[in-house]
Amino acid sequence: MKSPSAKNNNPAGLPAKKTSSLRTLTEENQRLRDENVRYTRYIREKTNQLLEVMGTQPLRPEEFDDSELLSLDPIGIIAGSFAQVYEYLNQTISDLSEARDELQAIFDATGVGISIIDQDFAIIKCNEKQRELLVDNQLDNVCGHHCYEVYCLKNGPGLDCPAVDTFATGRPVVVSEVRKKDKYFQLVTTPYAKDEHGAVTRVIEVALDITARKKAEEEERRQRGYYLAEKSKLASVLQSLSEGLLVTDSRNRIISINGAALQILDLSQKQAQELKVNELFADCPPEARTIFNVDNPDAFQNIEILFRGENKELLLSVNAVPLFDGDGNTIGRVFTFRDITDEKHRQEVLHRTEKLAAVGQLSAGIAHELNTPLGSILGYARLLLKGSNLLPEQRERLAIIAEQAKKSSAIIRELLNFSRLSAQPPDRTITCDLNKVVVETIKVLQTELDKRFITVHLDLSMLPAVTADPKRLEQVLVNIVLNSAQAIGSNGEINIASQCSGHEVQITVKDSGPGIPPKDLSRIFDPFFTTKPVGQGTGLGLSICAGIINDYGGAIDVRNAPGGGTIFTIILPLPGETHG
Amino acid sequence: MADTQKIKLDILGQVCPACLLVVLREMNTHRQQLKNGETQLIIKTDHRDTTRTIPESARKMGYDVEVRNMETYYEITIGKK
Repeated sequence: MKSPSAKNNNPAGLPAKKTSSLRTLTEENQRLRDENVRYTRYIREKTNQLLEVMGTQPLRPEEFDDSELLSLDPIGIIAGSFAQVYEYLNQTISDLSEARDELQAIFDATGVGISIIDQDFAIIKCNEKQRELLVDNQLDNVCGHHCYEVYCLKNGPGLDCPAVDTFATGRPVVVSEVRKKDKYFQLVTTPYAKDEHGAVTRVIEVALDITARKKAEEEERRQRGYYLAEKSKLASVLQSLSEGLLVTDSRNRIISINGAALQILDLSQKQAQELKVNELFADCPPEARTIFNVDNPDAFQNIEILFRGENKELLLSVNAVPLFDGDGNTIGRVFTFRDITDEKHRQEVLHRTEKLAAVGQLSAGIAHELNTPLGSILGYARLLLKGSNLLPEQRERLAIIAEQAKKSSAIIRELLNFSRLSAQPPDRTITCDLNKVVVETIKVLQTELDKRFITVHLDLSMLPAVTADPKRLEQVLVNIVLNSAQAIGSNGEINIASQCSGHEVQITVKDSGPGIPPKDLSRIFDPFFTTKPVGQGTGLGLSICAGIINDYGGAIDVRNAPGGGTIFTIILPLPGETHG
Repeated sequence: MADTQKIKLDILGQVCPACLLVVLREMNTHRQQLKNGETQLIIKTDHRDTTRTIPESARKMGYDVEVRNMETYYEITIGKK
């Protein structure tokens, strides 16, 4: 049943209360719809805002209608994404924090001092090592202080400050050595931060403490200087030695040789260093040669070696000691040697002189004692020979006695002459021309030489005068030349040469005879030594010669010539010099 | 990894921001598997902007992203860093 009033007020014919409710509902519906639109718009706006944060475009209305938008749940999606971003950020922050702690630990634990310095040279940060090296203990916090005040104790950056250069040029700078607070540093500055114009605003300064290295270098330099000075001293000592010295390595090669050794062996430095020591002494007698072999590293002393050089033959006294390294291994040998040729010769001359003196003394005594009885024998023999009642055989025997006594008397005269020479000092006021003496000697002996068909060749150089009695020198030369003539026998030649070298003059007499047997060479100047048959020579001639030459401070020598024959050499010193 | 599960997402024809939201939703859904490397998300898209927005967002979330130009489309691979 429908109400007439409602019919009047409501075209639908609903009662007024219901109509009112419907209106209210309609209005409510509209309000809710409006609100829904507003909320949806809000969601859309917030979604767009979030999408903008995500870096993408806003939603287009045609892309999603409101219903699709709500069912997609964009805010939920973005919230879920933000949760992931947040989680990742937290993880990153945690990683960074850990990295920062690690970096700080490295920063502090590193063996070099590190500072970060700004444009005003204020310290922004410094590590523990830098504090330990250059910061005063009483300064708690260096940040904000000027680096030149704290590190260098200066009022401003110094000329040697690398940070100044890095700020100016923007490039890293290395200073290999800087002294700060009695320590030495190697500094490196590197640009660390720049402003918008590219200018360096902060630098990292790394300081490496090189004090210990520097001290070690100084010590090494000092030791090296000491070593070099010692080495130089040793080299000077070795070079100044009059003895020859050479050092060999483990393969016998000569690695060092002094000036005396080069002079004695007549070698150049280069020649010596190309040789092994056994090669150098290769020509010496085989029994001596073995001591230079590399497999014979023992020490030895005063071994006499005959060294044959190109132009000379020397008698050397050689010592050797092995060289060891720190482990006791043999690394070579040191050889020292000296030329004892002259010394040996002097010894021989001295020995000869002593023998001469002794024989002279003995001879004088014997001659004196024998002269009187011999004179009586000769006198009485002659007296008896004057008798007229002698049988012919008696006369013959007496003649033999007189003849033998006469011969004995001649020997006695020679002995007396010998002893006189030995006893008398030479007259050092007389000088003579040796060449003239040679010529005179040949004149005296010419008849004898002609008889034996011996030719004499003279090769005389200009000589200065020597201090000697020409008569006594003539006696020497007569003896030697006659000796040579007797050695030749007949048909041969004698070469006599004179020359002056240095502080002495030299006469050599070379004959074409058979030479002297080597066993006799060392005895040829001994008194009473003769190779002639008994009764034909007294063996005093060459002894007397040696005595005369010796008296004048000279020397006489004999050797066999390589091609045969004998060479006598007489050496006399020039005035003011003494030979040997 | 041979045993990595590959989730393929074909969003050809779709444009931003819809593409991004779809991909983000997948990333949220498979978050754990993606984080521990069990799963890779392979997206096929022909919207150029997406090759910027998706990698940017994925990287901010800590994923490794690779974009390959496949001539007619782009292939974006998202996985564990």
